[in-house]
Amino acid sequence: EKSSFLLLSWISSISALYFHIGETEKKCFIEEIPDETMVIGKYRTQLWDKQSGSFLPATPGLGMHVEIKDPDTKIILSRQYGSDGRFTFTSHTPGEHQICLHSNSTKMALFAGGKLRVHLDIQVGEHTNNYPEIAAKDKLTELQLRVRQLLDQVEQIQKEQNYQRYREERFRMTSESTNQRVLWWSITQTLILIITGIWQMKHLKSFFEAKKLV
Amino acid sequence: MDVVPTTARNRWKPFCFAAVFMLSASAVDCFGRNQDNELTFLLPAGSSECFYQSAVQNGTMEVEYQVIAGAGMDVDFTIVSPEGVRLIVESRRSDGVHVVEPTEGGDYQICFDNSFSRFSEKMVFFEILTEAPGGDAGGDEEWPMLDEPDGSLLEYKLEDIRDSMDAVYRRLDRSRQMQTVLRAFEARDRNLLEDNLWRVSFWSCASVLVMLCVALTQVYTVRKLFDDKRRVCT
Repeated sequence: EKSSFLLLSWISSISALYFHIGETEKKCFIEEIPDETMVIGKYRTQLWDKQSGSFLPATPGLGMHVEIKDPDTKIILSRQYGSDGRFTFTSHTPGEHQICLHSNSTKMALFAGGKLRVHLDIQVGEHTNNYPEIAAKDKLTELQLRVRQLLDQVEQIQKEQNYQRYREERFRMTSESTNQRVLWWSITQTLILIITGIWQMKHLKSFFEAKKLV
Repeated sequence: MDVVPTTARNRWKPFCFAAVFMLSASAVDCFGRNQDNELTFLLPAGSSECFYQSAVQNGTMEVEYQVIAGAGMDVDFTIVSPEGVRLIVESRRSDGVHVVEPTEGGDYQICFDNSFSRFSEKMVFFEILTEAPGGDAGGDEEWPMLDEPDGSLLEYKLEDIRDSMDAVYRRLDRSRQMQTVLRAFEARDRNLLEDNLWRVSFWSCASVLVMLCVALTQVYTVRKLFDDKRRVCT
């Protein structure tokens, strides 16, 4: 009974950002996150019903395939979920993770050229924590829970700043590499130009001398 | 005649009541608190993407977007109200911040259009912050089922502590949002720099090849002029 309460509550409290997806269309989202960060994605699908002229909730038999790639383009999650689903992953390397969704409908007739409405909510880091659950497990009062929440927030900000430092270092390395390349290529091009000019003069001079023109 | 035995019906009653309560409580939870949605996605060349966000009456909605990768780094941006009125139309901008206040109840349509570009796909980051009319609901309504600390003697002190912690929470949340924005700026600069690096290498190579080709062509042309067939009189 308790699990059905929780199920009802998270289905209806999914944040209300939605978009439309075609039958074979694949929609990808990019999340740039530090390492050891948990990400929870929840989605809810609705199908356009011509008879009632509105979007029907929770169509059975209509699944969504979720594929998640890490910054090295290695697949870390590739699973089929139902019409309402929830996927979780924890990043092990910092960087851009790619979350791709596409529908994998078992009955093609359900789509029939219509569009599928997908409500999506992606929570990162400390937003993934379920505070009422933590309070129940550790038996915390409201103030204690608030302090715990603030600590989690500060920890996430710290992680994000560390990741920012790592990115800035990479940025600086790329910048210096570009500068070096510009310098060396300019010098090389000038040298090649000079050498080519000298070779041209020498070759034509010997050619004219062979032809007895000079 | 009872279709369902009385004992079974009594068992289902509290479940139904609690289910209705849960649904209504979480509906309030959904619309009574501030929400923060951010997504980064790839917009292919020559196409457009629309996202829909529901808002409550008299609330605030702030939309911020940035193009973080793609040649030209710009995109067309539109916000359409639930009534179908085009509130904001921007053409070929690389970033923007818009606040819609007060919001009408319904679904706002936020569209990004890349049809003017034939070859380059764009990576777009956007963030939608929605606020309910009364501002943040505050700690009391956020976790209604928790115990209050027993502080009847120090009640006024506890209120102070609770207020300052709520303030700290709101400010830290804002810090996180700022970090997200800064991260998007940095990602944009990094993508631009990496594109530059590739461009420098490519065009340097091409330049050297062109130089060598020109040199060889010049020599060949001059030699051709003095061919045996058309002897220059000496």
